[in-house]
Amino acid sequence: MSELICLLICSVILLVIALLHVAYLTYAERKIIARMQQRLGPNRVGPRGLLQPFADMLKLLTKEPIIPYGVDKNIFVLAPLISLVCAGSGLAFIPLWSNFVLSNANVGLLFILALSSLSAYGIILAGWSSNSRYALLGGLRSAAQVISYEIAMGLSLLSVVVMAGSFNLGDIVRAQANLPWKAFLFPQIIGFVVFLISAVAECNRVPFDLPEAESELVAGYFVEYSGMRFALFYLAEYFAMLVMSGLAVTCFLGGWLGPFSIPGLPFFWFLLKLYAFLFFYIWLRATLPRYRYDQLMDLGWKLLIPLAILNLFLTAIIKLLV
Amino acid sequence: MEKLVFYYLAFAMIASGIGAVVSRNPVHTVLFVLGLVLHQALLLFTLGSEFLAAVQVIVYAGAVLVLFLFVVYLINLKKETLKRRFIKNFSPCFLIFLLFTLIVVKTLLFLPALTSHFKARLPFPKGGSPLYFMAKNLFQTYLFQFELIGVVLLVVVLGAVFLLRRLDNPSEEGK
Repeated sequence: MSELICLLICSVILLVIALLHVAYLTYAERKIIARMQQRLGPNRVGPRGLLQPFADMLKLLTKEPIIPYGVDKNIFVLAPLISLVCAGSGLAFIPLWSNFVLSNANVGLLFILALSSLSAYGIILAGWSSNSRYALLGGLRSAAQVISYEIAMGLSLLSVVVMAGSFNLGDIVRAQANLPWKAFLFPQIIGFVVFLISAVAECNRVPFDLPEAESELVAGYFVEYSGMRFALFYLAEYFAMLVMSGLAVTCFLGGWLGPFSIPGLPFFWFLLKLYAFLFFYIWLRATLPRYRYDQLMDLGWKLLIPLAILNLFLTAIIKLLV
Repeated sequence: MEKLVFYYLAFAMIASGIGAVVSRNPVHTVLFVLGLVLHQALLLFTLGSEFLAAVQVIVYAGAVLVLFLFVVYLINLKKETLKRRFIKNFSPCFLIFLLFTLIVVKTLLFLPALTSHFKARLPFPKGGSPLYFMAKNLFQTYLFQFELIGVVLLVVVLGAVFLLRRLDNPSEEGK
């Protein structure tokens, strides 16, 4: 019983930390993009705008949640929750440190993939239940995109699994300890690039943000949402970014391993790499224009998936020979 | 505790199955099946097979059912949903349903005798990873059968493509 309580407390701590990260990720995003576009960004609430995320939260909480006429009410309410839960639960499997992982599942990697494949439901159901053309189109696009890129992502992660010989994320990190640079980055450079691109597509971020393309679909699948439900979709997107970055750090960059260990700060290297990835996401958003739909599908099916299969094949052969 | 979880899962699976058959809206039907699949995955999890549970979610919930949803979106089912009943009162289906129910009830009545020497348990050896065990069986002991199933699936895919080609308007061929 005490084990269960300990697990619950750990979950709550992790959740609170993740939420704080998400809150300040939005702030960082606005600040960094403003910097890249030679603007100031949020600077009114608190010193240097540091309290901006809390002001946003208050605003969203006090807004009226509108349920439009003609929607399928149950599904309309359920969809943002599905999105958030599927995006957030992945955090439980990512090892922040050799002694700190919430769920040390044998097939943790597969569970994360399963959750990310379930998160398509939140989007597709939100699009359908809104009873709106824009939302439906956004939902359909997004589902097609998420399914296509999931294949490339899964295949690129499989070659990591072949190298490490385990589905357990902790074991994958430990398998990287003896390599030069303590990372699968160089032996798996093709897999890494494929994973990076498909992870951006999985999170529906720029340049693959077709589901919510403002200029053509208004806001895509969540156009009819307002107030806190609207915010839940945003939360889900940022949680997904955290999970995908964590996965990239764990599988390709050696997780908590670093050139030297820092006493008292075991999470230091993991967090440093994580922040680098999150910055990369934001950087992409400030730099790249949106892909066209057929370009997106071409890239996924004709380039990334064959590349990932080739990589898997090569990895397996090398593993057999060595 | 274990029994409680099992009864919850069994009840939820049966309830969502009934919901899937009864509900009139095709999207709701797909959602009920999704619930069924997820509970099934949990059941596998409680039986000690994490791998099968994860694969169940990835394949069925993540791929197959999303495709079902796509199909439901793309074909217009408005007319069907307006119908009050899909089958008439006394159709052959109803007879078959009755027969099937009889069989199920009969089996259930014999179940207590069965459970004494038959326990639902996946054949994993104690100790050792179930994943390793399964991979060894799939790719060594039963490799031929496994590949054979792959060929069968390939035939199904080719058949589907062939049928689609045939249904196309002949005037559009060669474009």
